[in-house]
Amino acid sequence: MTVPSEHLLVLAAILFAVGAAGFFLRRNVIVVLMCVELMLNAANLSFLAGSRMHTLKAGATGTSLEGPLFAIFVIVVAAVEAAVGLALVIALYRNRQTVNLEDVAELKD
Amino acid sequence: MANALFYLMAVAAVAAALGVVLAKNPIQCVLSLLASFFCLATIYLLSGFQFLAAIQILVYGGAIMVLFLFVIMLLNLGDPGTADKTDARMFSRPNAFLVVIVAAALMAVGALAVRDSGTVAAANEMPENGIDTLHGLAGEMFGRYLLPFEAISMLLLATAVAVVVLAKRGKRGTTSISQGDVS
Repeated sequence: MTVPSEHLLVLAAILFAVGAAGFFLRRNVIVVLMCVELMLNAANLSFLAGSRMHTLKAGATGTSLEGPLFAIFVIVVAAVEAAVGLALVIALYRNRQTVNLEDVAELKD
Repeated sequence: MANALFYLMAVAAVAAALGVVLAKNPIQCVLSLLASFFCLATIYLLSGFQFLAAIQILVYGGAIMVLFLFVIMLLNLGDPGTADKTDARMFSRPNAFLVVIVAAALMAVGALAVRDSGTVAAANEMPENGIDTLHGLAGEMFGRYLLPFEAISMLLLATAVAVVVLAKRGKRGTTSISQGDVS
């Protein structure tokens, strides 16, 4: 593939913006968590784009492994976030029978 | 050929991401997110990250998405009768316009920053085995990045404990976080 790595960064920016818009627009907690996953994926993509950029510049002897490594760490953190977030959703649903964020806005008022 | 596939997958990934934001039924959101993850895995593969593509499908497609689906099924949210109605009018809320503007600005800043950075000359060919060879990754992860690796393992342990505490039923049939604590 000879696509410039900058196009990967543009794709990451678009995906992040879509995820951020969903995060602020949706009121279903589960969909909000999914939008966070989308944003973390965009961050992963930009890590990998940076790694690809450096590797193409330095050649096979200087492969840049920080990008994929930190992408793996981000994936682990995303899994952790999903597990804790969904456990919170289950606890919320047991107590309130709702997953709508507008129904749990006590701290906002 | 590979370039065309990249742009096809990029468009599909963005379309699927829009599907996550716009779909009314949470099940449709999950399936759109899954499609987006698969498109991204293809892009990783095309960019020379074979291991990351496999991890993307195994961990995101296999584990995290199943977790989301499981919770949606458990709480019976896929039923259109119980789907919440507030998301249907999400674009008619007063600050929705602002959110869309900010998202568009984020995209524009990303595109402008990339345009101004100037293309880095791709002086070399992609390594034959891809960038993230298992040998190289393992050497880095258990060498220079051993401490973050151990920190991640502690994070996973803490998560396992936290999830059990949060989702456990108490003696009165409620969660261990009781009604009084939450409301």
